[in-house]
Amino acid sequence: MIEVRLNRELTQSGATAISTGLAFAAINFLAVGQLLQNVDARFAWVPIVVAGVVMLAVRGLFAELDGMRPSAAGIRVWLQQAMHKRVALIITLTYMTTVVLVIAADAYIIGEAVSWALHQSQAVAIGLVALLLVLATAINLRGIKLAGRAEQAATFTAVALTLVVGAIAIAHPSTDGATPLGTTGHGGWVQALILGIFIYVGFEWVTTNSEEVTRPAIVPRAMLLALGILAVSWSVFAAGMGRALSDSDLTSAYPQLLVAQHALGQGGMLLMLAVTGLTAINTFNGGFITLSRFMYALAREGTLPRPLATLNTQAVPSVAVYVLGVSSLVLAVVVAVTGSFAVMVSVGAALETGIYASAAFVVWRLRGREPGTPRPYRFRGGRPLAALLVVVFAALTLVAATSVGASTSVVPLLVVLGFGVLATAYVLLVVPRFERREAEELAARRAARAASRADRRARGSDDAG
Amino acid sequence: MADERESIEPDELADALADYVVRANASPRVQKTLAGWTCRIHISASDVDAAFTLVIDGGSAQPVLTSLDGTPDLVIRGHSFDLAEIFWGDANPVSNYMQGAITTQGRAEDVMRLDAMAMFVFLGQ
Repeated sequence: MIEVRLNRELTQSGATAISTGLAFAAINFLAVGQLLQNVDARFAWVPIVVAGVVMLAVRGLFAELDGMRPSAAGIRVWLQQAMHKRVALIITLTYMTTVVLVIAADAYIIGEAVSWALHQSQAVAIGLVALLLVLATAINLRGIKLAGRAEQAATFTAVALTLVVGAIAIAHPSTDGATPLGTTGHGGWVQALILGIFIYVGFEWVTTNSEEVTRPAIVPRAMLLALGILAVSWSVFAAGMGRALSDSDLTSAYPQLLVAQHALGQGGMLLMLAVTGLTAINTFNGGFITLSRFMYALAREGTLPRPLATLNTQAVPSVAVYVLGVSSLVLAVVVAVTGSFAVMVSVGAALETGIYASAAFVVWRLRGREPGTPRPYRFRGGRPLAALLVVVFAALTLVAATSVGASTSVVPLLVVLGFGVLATAYVLLVVPRFERREAEELAARRAARAASRADRRARGSDDAG
Repeated sequence: MADERESIEPDELADALADYVVRANASPRVQKTLAGWTCRIHISASDVDAAFTLVIDGGSAQPVLTSLDGTPDLVIRGHSFDLAEIFWGDANPVSNYMQGAITTQGRAEDVMRLDAMAMFVFLGQ
């Protein structure tokens, strides 16, 4: 990256807030609840901290790739440099479903939390989910987004309040039946590690902002700081949740409200409801903007249908925003009706660990193919550790896809395979037609341009003669 | 991105950019959709000695400067042929960007708006 000054640069605190905020989703409260079903609550911090150490390696992978090719379309650019373009596109499209999943999950969690807090039925919860997503879609269509400082304030308020509530819950007398022992066997610890990793998921999305920084060190440092903030805040909250909740409470869709109610009464519960809302606002803000722009870019590139590049009068990719809103709504309603939010956590964890395996593969491959390309940040451990991470994350993907909470289940695997099959079918059957059309149109424009330039040169020679 | 790219002379690149500005200002869709967009863009070719400043003020493109002027909101770098193809309307900016043919520094929002401008201009909207 050539160092220049920009009028609007992303600062270190701004990048750290983005990295933290993207990972600090409401679905993490459910993941912590599931984690506590797998390990003794007194040691809940262990898988979270170990996962944090594993994520330091992930941070190293993304920092190296981001340093080589900083781009808002990073994952797409990196993958296609390291593998066949069709495989790269399949992985990219599958990755995009993770964002939809997190948006849907947060909408669902807010709906459930508000309806529980206000003593309403599930029908009201589903109505609230729909209302939230319609609102998020409408706000995005108008091109309204949280300003940088508001985003920072929302993130740090949510983190600070979560930390405070967790600390008070630790200091508060334990609930009868709390301190669940979970499944303390090896299987339980592996599952807890996966859920621990899930808590950090999304922190690497800050790399999509890497063109807004003028010093290459900012993004890797932001990821490091975010990992530290997430490790501390979720470890404290997990310990508090372990002391406050019974086994049955851990499986609810709003465990964070129950913890706050236990620690601080009704006022605390409402405070935590506000925190949940803040995390969702961050998710909606970041998720809708990032993914709709990404869909726009893929449509302009010729790999998604052209209507997705339609812009409204606010210069917002409106069709992409609608598609995102509707697909999130459908997914959220399916989850609400089936009560399968735990499956969503497993699917999200499986997809993300799969992406981390892909990132490790890309680092490994590019170290071999492009040894001379400047790398402002080098992944420590080089090719051997990158290869090991491919295997480790592939194994974790398999475990995440075949377990829900403390139980074995193939449902997440089927969902992931379903996404994968749809993406593969689209890439193999539809994309070639789009590419052919794009290539023909480009060739025609280039031929016309070459003729016109040749004609102009000939006239120039004549004039000179 | 072309496989066998020729270098485009700075004068021809400047002409392409000037023509692009004229077309952008004549596009009703650009004027309407990008009315709120203000952006100072530095454009540099990596293979020839050519650098430009393009200022968009409230959706209207100002006359191009043939040097880097002021502090930019967005910086675009690339091979002169890839840059010229964008200004000619032969290749779209996002496509070149996604393939790594051009690199940018600045907000993704500005990159998208610049691409939108190209799309409106060359679709004749």
